[in-house]
Amino acid sequence: MASSTNTNPVPKLYRSVIEDVINDVREVFLDEGVDEQVLMELKTLWENKLMQSKAVDGFHSEEQQLLLQVQQQQQQQQQQQQHHHHHHHTQPQPQQTVQQQSQPQQVLIPASQQAPQQQVIVPDSKLIPHMNASGMSAAATAATLALPAGVTPVQQILTNSGQILQVVRTANGAQYIIQPQQPVVLQQQVIPQMQPGGVQAPVIQQVLAPIPGGLSQQTGVIIQPQQILFTGNKTQVIPTTVAAPTTAQAQIPAAGQQQPQQQQAQPQAPLVLQVDGAGDTSSEEEEDEEEDYDDDEEEDKEKDGGEDGQVEEEPLNSEDDVSDEEGQELFDTENVVVCQYDKIHRSKNKWKFHLKDGIMNLNGRDYVFSKAIGDAEW
Amino acid sequence: MAYQLYRNTTLGNSLQESLDELIQSQQITPQLALQVLLQFDKAINLALAQRVRNRVNFRGSLNTYRFCDNVWTFVLNDVEFREVTELVKVDKVKIVACDGKNTGSNTAE
Repeated sequence: MASSTNTNPVPKLYRSVIEDVINDVREVFLDEGVDEQVLMELKTLWENKLMQSKAVDGFHSEEQQLLLQVQQQQQQQQQQQQHHHHHHHTQPQPQQTVQQQSQPQQVLIPASQQAPQQQVIVPDSKLIPHMNASGMSAAATAATLALPAGVTPVQQILTNSGQILQVVRTANGAQYIIQPQQPVVLQQQVIPQMQPGGVQAPVIQQVLAPIPGGLSQQTGVIIQPQQILFTGNKTQVIPTTVAAPTTAQAQIPAAGQQQPQQQQAQPQAPLVLQVDGAGDTSSEEEEDEEEDYDDDEEEDKEKDGGEDGQVEEEPLNSEDDVSDEEGQELFDTENVVVCQYDKIHRSKNKWKFHLKDGIMNLNGRDYVFSKAIGDAEW
Repeated sequence: MAYQLYRNTTLGNSLQESLDELIQSQQITPQLALQVLLQFDKAINLALAQRVRNRVNFRGSLNTYRFCDNVWTFVLNDVEFREVTELVKVDKVKIVACDGKNTGSNTAE
């Protein structure tokens, strides 16, 4: 990863900027009465995000860089002995008993990056093999779900009943909460992030609803930014943004009605919410209620395609895209150069650029320059 | 006031995201976050001016150009960036450039 022959100036530059900023704001933090701990947390968050972006080869210090190289060597030796190591992409041992993770895990959720508030549907069938009675590890989530790039570490929260809630934060601040499955009473802990005061975070909940028959039913639920109030046996979902899909609104009241039926003996209400549309092996009651909301569900509309009004939309949609094809690059990053100009010159259609003090992100990697000279024809 | 130009970089965005997380968890105030960003602007401008000493050349075809509020925005296609050490090719690149002459007065991105 780190180029040893060419001294890449970027990590050192970033290191120095981070140090300068942290040191300069320390006084501001103290003036505002904010603890030094928070300042350190800022620094850690900052560095972690940099590391995760893989745009730089940055590490905390050169010492740790050497440490990491030693660790990698040790890991390679141990690789055959133990089939797990600290690497991101492998599946470590089940971590249900680990309350705190020492190293970040990258969790993958199959969601598009374009719409940060897009609904992510977790199909039940994929989750079943990864969910056993003892719970689900973070890596199992990684196998089934795929997050957009820039996901911050998964945090595990211990619930009242001892279950591990996994909280994943994405780059845009959205938080996903993944609950493991257990064939026992599922108690809804008041998740710290969920406050009636107003936390908007898409919530992914795999909720287990114990059916009187003894079987456990999984549902994957993604709820768009809404406030979910846990009040006794009822869960009320209050949409706080316009972007909340109607499906979620439609399904949640429906599921909320079913909950009291299934939770007679439970003091707290587990969520049994199904917002992933029709097509799964749910009970008939749910299907009937889904059909009632078919007209409101955009997804079903698109799937059917033959309803009145749908035919008119398709030709219209196809004419929307007039712009150039933007998916040319393999990478999602748009290559950007942010800099200052000394002189911009044009002669007929020949342009000359004299730029300085720039930061470039090309093909996902960061570069810097003090001077850049370029030519282009328009 | 230094240019806020560099906030939309990997370094700047990761800082903003970290600050947003701290604001969300109510560990800092938005005002404090703003102060941090202003300090970041100063630091990055200074660092780029003083600590970076390399040259890059590039060549490509100009797709669009815009000059507004003393800010140039270009979109180039099929560009090669050449440094002494390496060569980088991209299909499309956007260049945003603020005026490099009077850096003390402009706060536009």
